Amino acid sequence: MAQVEFQEVVKRYGSFEAVKSVSFTVEDGEFVALVGPSGCGKTTTLNLIAGLLDLTGGAIRVGGRQINDLDPKDRDIAMVFQNYALYPNKTVRQNLGFPLRMRKVPKRELEEKVNDAARLLDITHLLDRRPRELSGGQQQRVALGRALVRDPQVFLMDEPLSNLDAKLRVQMRAELKRFHQDLNATVIYVTHDQLEAMTMADKMAVMSGGVLQQYDTPERVFEEPANVFVAGFVGSPAMNLLPARVVENGGAVQAAGEGWELALSPRNAASARRASGDAVILGARHSSLILHEEAAPGCIAAKIYTVEPTGDLTYAHVEVGGKTFVISLDPQRRIRADQPVWIEFDQDRLHLFDAVTEQRLPPG
Amino acid sequence: MDKRRITRWHVFGWIFLVFLLIYAVTPLLWMLITSFKSQFAALQYPPDLYPKNPTTEQYVRLLSPQNDVGRQFLRYLLNSIMVSTVTTILGVAVAVPAAYAFSRFRFPGRKALFFSVLFRNMFPAVVFLMPLFIMMRWMGLVNTYSSLVITYLTFGLPLSIWLLKGFYDNIPVQLEQAARIDGCTRFQAFYLIVMPLSAPGIIATAIYSFITAWNEYVYALTFLNDDQKLTLPVGLQRFFTEYATNWPGLMAASFIMSVPVVAMFLILQKYFVRALTEGAVKA
Ligand SMILES: Nc1ncnc2c1ncn2[C@@H]1O[C@H](COP(=O)(O)OP(=O)(O)O)[C@@H](O)[C@H]1O
Ligand SMILES: [Mg+2]
Repeated sequence: MAQVEFQEVVKRYGSFEAVKSVSFTVEDGEFVALVGPSGCGKTTTLNLIAGLLDLTGGAIRVGGRQINDLDPKDRDIAMVFQNYALYPNKTVRQNLGFPLRMRKVPKRELEEKVNDAARLLDITHLLDRRPRELSGGQQQRVALGRALVRDPQVFLMDEPLSNLDAKLRVQMRAELKRFHQDLNATVIYVTHDQLEAMTMADKMAVMSGGVLQQYDTPERVFEEPANVFVAGFVGSPAMNLLPARVVENGGAVQAAGEGWELALSPRNAASARRASGDAVILGARHSSLILHEEAAPGCIAAKIYTVEPTGDLTYAHVEVGGKTFVISLDPQRRIRADQPVWIEFDQDRLHLFDAVTEQRLPPG
Repeated sequence: MDKRRITRWHVFGWIFLVFLLIYAVTPLLWMLITSFKSQFAALQYPPDLYPKNPTTEQYVRLLSPQNDVGRQFLRYLLNSIMVSTVTTILGVAVAVPAAYAFSRFRFPGRKALFFSVLFRNMFPAVVFLMPLFIMMRWMGLVNTYSSLVITYLTFGLPLSIWLLKGFYDNIPVQLEQAARIDGCTRFQAFYLIVMPLSAPGIIATAIYSFITAWNEYVYALTFLNDDQKLTLPVGLQRFFTEYATNWPGLMAASFIMSVPVVAMFLILQKYFVRALTEGAVKA
C-alpha cells in the first residue's frame, strides 16, 4: 500500500482542458472519494493514475516514486471499471487469475490466491461460469476480485456501484467499506453520487469543471464547504442558497434581498465584512431552518410552494425572495401549499459566501 | 399476443424458405448428378433424373496427375488456392490492424481516409479493368499472381475493414484498459483480449476474401494469359472449350471448385450466428 501524490496535474484533450492543475495527496491506507458531476474530469483523473492517459503537465507519485512515464502494467495498481470490463471469453476463474498469469506467478500460488479472493468475495461457486452467466452484483464481485487478487499498491474504482440497483448498491457500499477497513488499502474511488462519497470515504475530493474545489474529510466538506459549488453539491437535499446585499445600519449588520431583511449575528456579521463587495450568498441547510406559521421577530416572510412527505421527514418547498428553499419538517406538522410562513435561520449554522468569488467567508 | 397469427406467419415463412432452398439447391444438385453420368447419358433427351450407371470416371480423371487433363486441372486448382490464400492472409493481416486503428484511434485524416476507402465501393469493379491493366503492365506485373492479389486486395479490403471496424467498435475499450492494468502491453491487450473477441469477425472476413478471390473471373481473364498460371474459373472455361464439350467433366470440375465455397459458407454461417448471439460483449 502506498501514498499517492498529485502535483499540479494537468490533462488536455486537444485544446480542451479536462483536468486543471489538480494537487492533493492520498495518504497510505486512505479511502478517498473523487466526486463531482458528470463530465467534471473524474474518470480522466483516475485514468491518469492508471497510466491509461498521458499527463499534459504535473506529476503523480505513488509511494514517493514518480510514475508519469510508466506503462499501466508497471504501476502496480488495480482498477475496477463501471462496466466491470470482465473478459467475456474467460471463466470467472480465468478472469481472476489473469493479472497473476500476466505477472508469471507460479501456478500453485496463482490457484491459491484465486481461491482466497473467491472465498473472500463469496463467489467460489461461480468460478467456472462465464461473465455473461452472472448477475450484475456477481459481476461486480468478480471485478472486485480481479483487483484484490494481486494485492496492488493502490485500488482505483470508477463508479463501481452505479450499474447496480438501489438495494444492492447500499449493500455493496457497506461491503466495500468493510473491505477497505480489513485490507487497509489505499483506495481512490470515483463517484458522481455525493452520498456514496460521504458515507464511504475518509476524504472527499470534490471536482467541478476540471478543478479540484475542496479536499477534506466528509464532515468538514459538509460543514465548511469551500465555495458555493461544494455547498450546493454536497448534502441532500442541496443547501439553500440566497443572494443578498449586506447593509450596515448603525453598528447592526443586515443581509437584505427582494422584500426581506435579516439581522446577522455577530459571528455572521464578521464573515459578511470579509466579502470583497456588499454582495454575499447566504447558505442554509434544510435542517438549519425553522418554519413558523405565525409572524415572529427575526424571521423572513415566505410562502409554501409544495409539500413532500417522505415518511421520516417532510420537505416543504418554500418561496423566498424569488428562490425556492427546501426545509425539513416533523412529519406530524400539517402545512398546506400557498400558506404564508415565516422562516427562522439558525445563525450558528448559517454559511456565507462572497457573491463575486463564490468562496466561503469564514466566520469571525 | 394472437397465437393463430404467429403460426400463420410461421407457415408463410416455411413455404418461403422451402422455395428459396429449392431455388438454391437445384442447380447444384443437377451439377452433381450430371457429373456422375457418362458423357453419352448426359446428352440424352429427355434427361435422366439420376445417373443410371453412376461413374466417378470424371473425378478420377480430373484429380489424377497421371494424365494431361488431370495435370492441367490440378495446376489450375493449385493456382486458385495460392492466389486466394495469399489474398486472404494479406487481407486479414492488413484489415485487422487497420480496422482496429479506425475504431480506436483518432488521427488526422481518419475520416477522410475511411470514406475514401468506402468511396471505391461506389464504382463497379469492371470500371477499373483497363486502368488497372495499364498500371499492371507499367509495373511489369501482367501475367503474375501478384497482379491478381493486389487487385483483389484493393477491392476486398474496404468491406473487410468496414466489417471488422464494426466488431471493434462493439468491444468496450475498458477491456483493453483492464488488460493493460492487469499486466499486458498494448499489443498483448489486443492480442490476448480483443482479437479473440473479434475472431468471428476475422474468420467471416477471411472467408469472404477467400471466396471473392476464388470466384473472380474478369480480372483473372485479363491479367493472366500464360496457360500455366490461370486460375480455376478462367482455366475451366479454356479447358473445356478447347476439347469437345464434355458436360460431365465440366460439371465434376465445377463441383470440385464449389466444394471450398460451400464448406466455407457453412463455417461462415456458424460464425455469423455466433457473432450475432455472442457478440453481446456490451456491458
Ligand atoms: N478522449 C477524449 N477526448 C476529448 N474529450 C474528452 C475525452 N475523454 C473525456 N473528454 C472530456 O473531458 C471531460 C471529462 O471527462 P471524464 O473524465 O470522463 O468525466 P467524468 O468521469 O467526471 O464524468 C468531459 O467534458 C469529456 O467530454
Ligand atoms: Mg466517468
